[in-house]
Amino acid sequence: MRKVAALVMFFTIPAITTLGQIAYRAADIPPSLRFGASAVVREKETTLNMLSADNVVYTVREVVTVLNKGGDEHALLILPYNKNTVIKSAKGQILDAQGMSVSKFNLSNFNDQSAVSDFSLYEDDRLKYYNPTITSYPFTMVYEYELRLKQNLIIPDWYANPQPDLSVEKSVYTFNAAPQEKIRIKAYNYKGEAKESQVDKQKRLTWTVENLPAFKQEPYAPSPDDYRTYVKIAPEQFSYYRTKGKYSNWDELGKWIYTDLIKTRQNLSPAVVAEMKSLVQGVDSDKEKAKRIYEYMQRKTRYISVQIGIGGFQPMFSSDVDRLGYGDCKALVSYMQSLLAAVDIPSYYCVVYAGSRKQSMDPEFASMDQGNHVILALPLGNDTTWLECTNQNVPFGFLGDFTDDRLVLACTENGGKLLRTPVLSTQMNETHRKATLLVDKTGSITGTTNTTYKGAQYDTHEALIRKPLSEQTKILSNYYDVDNINFSQVSVTQEKTEKPVTTEKLNIRIGAYVPHSQQSAYLIPNAFNRHPVTKAVSNRKLPLHINRGYTDEDEISYQLPTGYSIEYQPKDFDLKTPFGHYVAKITKKGDELLYYRKFTLNDGTHPAKDYAAFAEFMNQVATADKAKVILKVN
Amino acid sequence: MIKRFSIVALLLLTFGATHAQDFPYGKHNPSDFLSNKAKVDSTADAEVIREFGTGQIQKDDQTGRLYIDYHYHVKIKIINAEGFKSGDIEIPLRIYNNAADEMYDFKATSYYHDNGSIQQNDVDPKRVFTENKNRYLKLVKFTMPNLKPGSVIEYSYRLKRQSIFNFTSWEFQGDIPKQHSEFIALIPANYNFNVSLRGSRGLTSQNGVVQRECLRIGANGMDCSKMTYIMKDVAAFKEEAYMTTASNFKSVINFELSDVHHADGGRSNITRSWKDVDYELTSDRSFGGQMKQKDLFAAKMPEILKDATDSLSKAKAVFAYIKDRIKWNNYLGKYSEKDVKKALEARSGNIGDINLALISALNAAGFNPDAVILSTRQNGVVGDLYPVITEFDYVIAKLNIGGTDYLLDASEPLLPFGLLPMRCLNGKGRVVNFKKASYWFDIKASQKDAVKYNLVAKLDTDGKIKGTLYTFSSGYNAYHKRERIAEAGSIDAYVQQFDEQNPSFEITKHEVINVDSLDKILEERYEITIDQFEGTDYSKLFYNPNFLNRIASNPFKLNERSYPVDMGAATETRVSMILTLPEKFEFAEAPKDIAIGLSQNGGRYQTVTKLDDTMLSFSGLLQLNKPVYTPEEYLSLKEFYSKIIQQQKIDLILQKTK
Repeated sequence: MRKVAALVMFFTIPAITTLGQIAYRAADIPPSLRFGASAVVREKETTLNMLSADNVVYTVREVVTVLNKGGDEHALLILPYNKNTVIKSAKGQILDAQGMSVSKFNLSNFNDQSAVSDFSLYEDDRLKYYNPTITSYPFTMVYEYELRLKQNLIIPDWYANPQPDLSVEKSVYTFNAAPQEKIRIKAYNYKGEAKESQVDKQKRLTWTVENLPAFKQEPYAPSPDDYRTYVKIAPEQFSYYRTKGKYSNWDELGKWIYTDLIKTRQNLSPAVVAEMKSLVQGVDSDKEKAKRIYEYMQRKTRYISVQIGIGGFQPMFSSDVDRLGYGDCKALVSYMQSLLAAVDIPSYYCVVYAGSRKQSMDPEFASMDQGNHVILALPLGNDTTWLECTNQNVPFGFLGDFTDDRLVLACTENGGKLLRTPVLSTQMNETHRKATLLVDKTGSITGTTNTTYKGAQYDTHEALIRKPLSEQTKILSNYYDVDNINFSQVSVTQEKTEKPVTTEKLNIRIGAYVPHSQQSAYLIPNAFNRHPVTKAVSNRKLPLHINRGYTDEDEISYQLPTGYSIEYQPKDFDLKTPFGHYVAKITKKGDELLYYRKFTLNDGTHPAKDYAAFAEFMNQVATADKAKVILKVN
Repeated sequence: MIKRFSIVALLLLTFGATHAQDFPYGKHNPSDFLSNKAKVDSTADAEVIREFGTGQIQKDDQTGRLYIDYHYHVKIKIINAEGFKSGDIEIPLRIYNNAADEMYDFKATSYYHDNGSIQQNDVDPKRVFTENKNRYLKLVKFTMPNLKPGSVIEYSYRLKRQSIFNFTSWEFQGDIPKQHSEFIALIPANYNFNVSLRGSRGLTSQNGVVQRECLRIGANGMDCSKMTYIMKDVAAFKEEAYMTTASNFKSVINFELSDVHHADGGRSNITRSWKDVDYELTSDRSFGGQMKQKDLFAAKMPEILKDATDSLSKAKAVFAYIKDRIKWNNYLGKYSEKDVKKALEARSGNIGDINLALISALNAAGFNPDAVILSTRQNGVVGDLYPVITEFDYVIAKLNIGGTDYLLDASEPLLPFGLLPMRCLNGKGRVVNFKKASYWFDIKASQKDAVKYNLVAKLDTDGKIKGTLYTFSSGYNAYHKRERIAEAGSIDAYVQQFDEQNPSFEITKHEVINVDSLDKILEERYEITIDQFEGTDYSKLFYNPNFLNRIASNPFKLNERSYPVDMGAATETRVSMILTLPEKFEFAEAPKDIAIGLSQNGGRYQTVTKLDDTMLSFSGLLQLNKPVYTPEEYLSLKEFYSKIIQQQKIDLILQKTK
């Protein structure tokens, strides 16, 4: 049944072809593929044979030439495995620049280790890796491996060019399945159509790319999936850890997740149900009730991640969360959902791709592998309230920048639907600082600062809360990286509403901040908020993408010693560009020097050609941010 | 400072039959729940109430092998939610060649006080996970259920540890404070262990008694020394920036087997004296055996040495050959992992493989190199009370040519001959060879981490500075640059990165020399344009000559320091600039040349500025001469940097000559 014979044939490596020409010579790589590349995929064949829902054979044969040390990572071969993925074979050899075999390796040369994510207590994932030890470049790795997947719920995505600094001479993806299997497929950024054919009574689809130049990792770039070529495949009938199911869109997938994975796990004891009822007794609004229950859940639980088998998708029993007081995101959301259900408040279990970079579920293509986190949505009338359930300190109804502004899959009894989480806008992500500082004749500064942080900036100083002054001082001296800064008093308070605010009040002293020469004193008025330099990128290829905007406003009053006059002051700025707006002003009234800075960075996407103007704007800001006032000392 | 002292001699053994004083499991003092403040440090999030351990040599009746029966029991007070992380527990089990540590008698419970009664939750054994981390290590992991601020957690377990050579070590100090930490070592009288205590704290108490017939081997019952070590009110260990590994400073007690008296009256030394260690190492197949593999290289020597003229160039040729033939597999080790022959075949090996191969090859070339064993920075400082062989995790070669000692490590392709990787710079190493007794040798960087910038440029009337920037890098500075060039893939790509990171200037032409000539100074030459002023039609120009490497941030931010500041190697930065001005200028305010220094020649910063009509010149020097500064020197080091930052804010104020 399995086409192992074909694989063996793939693997006769022609070190020298019949024509006497040496194959895989590094010198044969065309210059266009060397440009900007640290490694080149010479040939890659990825084949996926879906023999049945619980028997999928995945083979890769790859020839990759590493041009220099920067390409070492492309020679590192990592094979993940777990109870659902078996490594059947792996072998290969290493060729020198001329294509002559230097050494061979097989599975016994691989290192084996656990692959537990750093956020987890335990996971059953493992990996085997082979890291070739080669001292001279270029060299070529020729290898093949075969994995057997005992499930087809998650078919690995095929990437034509997975990583930056890697070019591709030729890469072919072949997918084979029985003709009667219903398969949904989406190719992203692929020119043309997949080639369809019938081979050995199997339906075969083939995607081919040739001569893909390397792409570069660039700052302020869109998500790599916006420009990389890749193919997603989702069979309609699936099997996963002996669970079987069927879906062909988000509606069906959401329904399956709810009915087969979640619903049966929400088993609260009557005592807990009664406790919830009494907890909300006398409260009228559903929102207020939900808030009470949320705070109860926050007090009772903590985040502990354990992922084993289907437990990677299925939450723990709510009764276990109740008994143990911990769970992962799925468990805590499912627990919260069942607590709310106890007082008849409906809610949606929502799968999301969390991270500071906004990433949505693809509305056109449903699949199980697009999320990495779960949150809870409360449809309360017109207004949906969103709950992050894995954090003891986050305010009720506030998601923060971990899951804001993206499409998530709400899994309900009536099916799945895509919902968008709330936006944290440029205006909402605000820091506002007011400082009143006294400069003495030695150049030292004392005074107070009062700063509010909102929106995505709300949790900037979460680490300061509940810490002793000694720890706060450590954190603040790194955050306010000003030489000689000392904090005599630190107060951080939080207004935990749905639009939360953190207020930080500091009493500070900065020794010798304003150094004096015989006749002059040097003051950088922007003491606290200097934007770093932005990399200029020559030949920008990717669009400019600003993932999240923000607004920072700083007002500082310096009380100077009497008689200081301005010898030189940097010019005022009022720079307005499509990327943002920068205002910097210095005014002197008597002995008071006032510094005002407002910097707005707008989120948005611009064509690649605009990057130069953007970098110029950002670097004007960076330069102006560290500009000095020179004072004449009498 | 690192304190290590022998404490075994202090013990007066008395006879007694006392049993190990473990505290009862599951019994609480009311005070454990009454107060919700940590006692040792009131700001702590969690605190060890009591911690107790024993280590005892036992014999496995089935295999006849000796093992260590280790018992651990702890009770921790959780003060607040931040302290919940103390409820996530990870117990490492080591895997040896043919055996692994085994855990048994595991118990774990969390308790909290609820309306006058104590609620208890045991950890479900099904929720205790064993992660097979890699081929050397397993981790037993679990988390405490139902934690609340004010909870108490308790757990205990026994380990069957398969190696008696490292008896065990006991950490009195951890990442949370401890009220009471106690360890009992039960050691049969015929085993001698070297015991040493690290860290700045002394023991609160210690005591030794003889315990009768604690171990039975054959028909003989053996007496044991039962030694109890207690430390009370131990503050948490807090890491600081610029420190070497925490294990150098934590309060830890270590035991290392030194010798064994056999029942027949004979004695075998394990680590009695350096003489024994020398013999052990030189006769070990994986060490001395691999230093003598010169036959592997003899045939190749004529080819390797074909261009070499004198001893030094011969040694360099051999060094380059080994670097090219064996790539480091990222494993440390003083012993050869595979053996030199196999490493050469696989073209890959651990540190032992590489540098013992180097020693063999140098032998084949007619040299007489020594091996130097050392402990890397990550591994901690070695003690000199006893030869504790397991403390060493690295080997390098030492070669004397014409009276100069060269320390050689062939594991880093981009380091020049004689410069060790930073990881080796950790005090002293022990020189081992076949002929003489071993001896200590200070391991220092042979070169400073040094860079020199020269700018020769002209200020045009359009306000742009155009000229040539030369940089000369040596030591680790050159090494890091060569690494970046290698990572970038080409010199052009490296220069492009450098250009992109410095938007204030534009590089129009570049040249980088000696990228592959590791023994030479790495030279970079850039034709640059800096947008300095908007025209020069000002009555005054404000110019800051610290055009490169300006220090804007003080690396030392706090006002206190407990541990030494360890920078690894001395550093030196020199800047010099000659700027031709478009017309005659003079100083509006004469700049003050500065010269400041740290005591005992610890560091120096000085600048000299001159203006001669149209010629402005500036030079600056920053030296940090010591690789390590004591905590007492910390504040002056911070102040030194602060002075530099203040100084570098001051501009030159130029005005047109009237």
